[in-house]
Amino acid sequence: MKGALWVCERDIRKFLRQPATMLGAVIGPFLTLILLGFAFGGAVTHAPVAVVRQSYGPISTDFINTITNQQNCVYGGIDCANAYDLVDVSDLGAAQSMLRAGTVKAVVYIPLGFDQSSGGSPVLTVYLDNTDPISAATISSLMSQAAAEISAQVQVTPPPDSVVTVDVANIYREVLYIEFMAPGSLIQSIMFASIIGGGISILFDKQRGIIEGYLVTPLKRIEIVVGVLLAGVTKAMFSATTMLILAILFAGVRPMTNIIGFMLIFFTLFLTSMGLISMMSAYAVRAPAPEVYQFTAFPINLILYFTSGAVYPIQGFPSWMRSIASINPEAYAVHALRDLMYKGAGPTAVIGDFAFLALFTGLMIALATVAFKRAL
Amino acid sequence: MKAAVLTQDITKRFGDLTAVDKINLSIESREIFGLIGPNGAGKTTLVRMLTTVIPPTDGTAVVAGFDIREEADGVRRSIGVVSQASTLDVELTAWENMNIYAKYYDVPAEIRKERIKELLGIVGLSERANFTVGSYSGGMKRRLELVRSLIHQPKVLFLDEPTTGLDPQARSAVLEYLRSLHKINDITIVLTTHYLEEAESMCDRIAVVDYGKVVALGTATELKREATGGDVVEAEVAALPNQALEALKTSKFALDVKKRESTLTVLVRNGAEAVPKIVELVDANGGKIRSITLRAPTLDDVFLHYTGRSIREDTNITNKRFVSNWGR
Repeated sequence: MKGALWVCERDIRKFLRQPATMLGAVIGPFLTLILLGFAFGGAVTHAPVAVVRQSYGPISTDFINTITNQQNCVYGGIDCANAYDLVDVSDLGAAQSMLRAGTVKAVVYIPLGFDQSSGGSPVLTVYLDNTDPISAATISSLMSQAAAEISAQVQVTPPPDSVVTVDVANIYREVLYIEFMAPGSLIQSIMFASIIGGGISILFDKQRGIIEGYLVTPLKRIEIVVGVLLAGVTKAMFSATTMLILAILFAGVRPMTNIIGFMLIFFTLFLTSMGLISMMSAYAVRAPAPEVYQFTAFPINLILYFTSGAVYPIQGFPSWMRSIASINPEAYAVHALRDLMYKGAGPTAVIGDFAFLALFTGLMIALATVAFKRAL
Repeated sequence: MKAAVLTQDITKRFGDLTAVDKINLSIESREIFGLIGPNGAGKTTLVRMLTTVIPPTDGTAVVAGFDIREEADGVRRSIGVVSQASTLDVELTAWENMNIYAKYYDVPAEIRKERIKELLGIVGLSERANFTVGSYSGGMKRRLELVRSLIHQPKVLFLDEPTTGLDPQARSAVLEYLRSLHKINDITIVLTTHYLEEAESMCDRIAVVDYGKVVALGTATELKREATGGDVVEAEVAALPNQALEALKTSKFALDVKKRESTLTVLVRNGAEAVPKIVELVDANGGKIRSITLRAPTLDDVFLHYTGRSIREDTNITNKRFVSNWGR
């Protein structure tokens, strides 16, 4: 098996001569993390909301005061006291035109007779620009909260002690969206390294006859396969480690973990590298043409990345996407990394993920071995 | 003396195509042996089998005392290969290229350094040893590949078109180095080439391969004598009716008659006597000769005689008779 080391050494030397090629594997996921992370992670602030008030009784005054001084308001883990700016508008028609024109994101309509409603409960209407679902959801949830708060004072029956209240208790420290995304970016950098440093470098070697050139040497075929895969894993681990450092430095990611946790994180990255490198190497070596590989490798990355739960929880997926996620190795890797990085989980928590990843990696190594043997 | 390469009915078929058809060759130790033939004749396929890249469909061969089927590892340890396409790592230095290759062959570390230094010196690359190969000229790269294939002191060296793509100066330099390497090493060289003058000047014996078979074998002198019988008369014709061509072909003195465009080539036993006869015969049959020359035969005549094509034509042919599925 010594031969595998020489094959690996050759590849790594070439890689060290031109590390710029591998930075490509880090830049893409890093930009995605920074741009997507900061764009999606923020709470809605200063959304303009028009208020049309036609009733001036105590309940409506209460309501207006509450929404003006929204406090104790938590949305997406961030204080959203400044979620919206209120604008007084006298006429509902005018306010609705403003809403359609996009000048305001919502209209709060307190109709005439709101304070005098006898028997039934007072109803106010919030018109929402639901083409922007994120802002709409924020505003509607804040309005409902305010309404719930004043109803507690207004309502006589049922008595206050039967009103169900919910206390929210976070069991972990606050995790920003960009941190939620970071594990996916680590895995993506491994995938990029597998596409570039694994597959494409094999395609080049194959085209230049270097792989066939190995065959006239005493190197055994299995040594060639192992050497090539080992070099690929080294490159992938290099990208993932660089990506982790960048995420800590620039994206504010603070993995909460101890030394065992760190070792488990690296084990996850290693297992994933081994699996993805083997997968892309097998594909590259058997691809009908280099162009076919190049055109399909990046779409494969997109599918694996977005169905992994890297940017949105899998629980929010339609069922067909959930099915993909259930067999997507990146999903298991992302899940394991999140547990290890933010929950400080031990090995028992991620044993299921590791089992799947090990199974996947084993299959892919077998596949790569067969693919190489056929191609050699 | 034991043969360095001995093939026994070695055959390679790709589907319906028989690329190499029951070739029996015996290449002696320390011989420089040339394989010539048109593109797709089966030379490269033969070499790929002898170097254990692909297994034969039928038959076998013994290379440096090892059976290519049964003892591939022994074969690989005893041979050096320079393939048609460069397999150097252009990102690495000449030294690194040599060093990694030496490791593939388990050349011990203490010997490695000395040998790399010596080999690079022989081909005049000592001063460029620590430059990346990407900065090398085509000739330098070939020289490096040549010595890289000798790092483990192989018994048999296979060279597939070693000078293709080089300018004449670089070509003669590579050949000169090859000669001196042959002189100081106990080595058998099997060379495939498209350059017939190269084969003639380098090789002890030459095999002409066509359609997967060896159609002629011998020293350059033997081949020329055998194929041409003596001299070559070449005439530029202004007109040559078919009956004139027929008359030449049926004449007693002409051993072989070929016409390609306006060039008439006649192989004869005695050129000086044949020239006036040819002129007479063409004239009598309504043809017209513009010029006529008498020359000694070349390997190109041999090539033409056995394969029906001139090598110059052949190099221009792009669709090969047989295209190996290299790299699949």
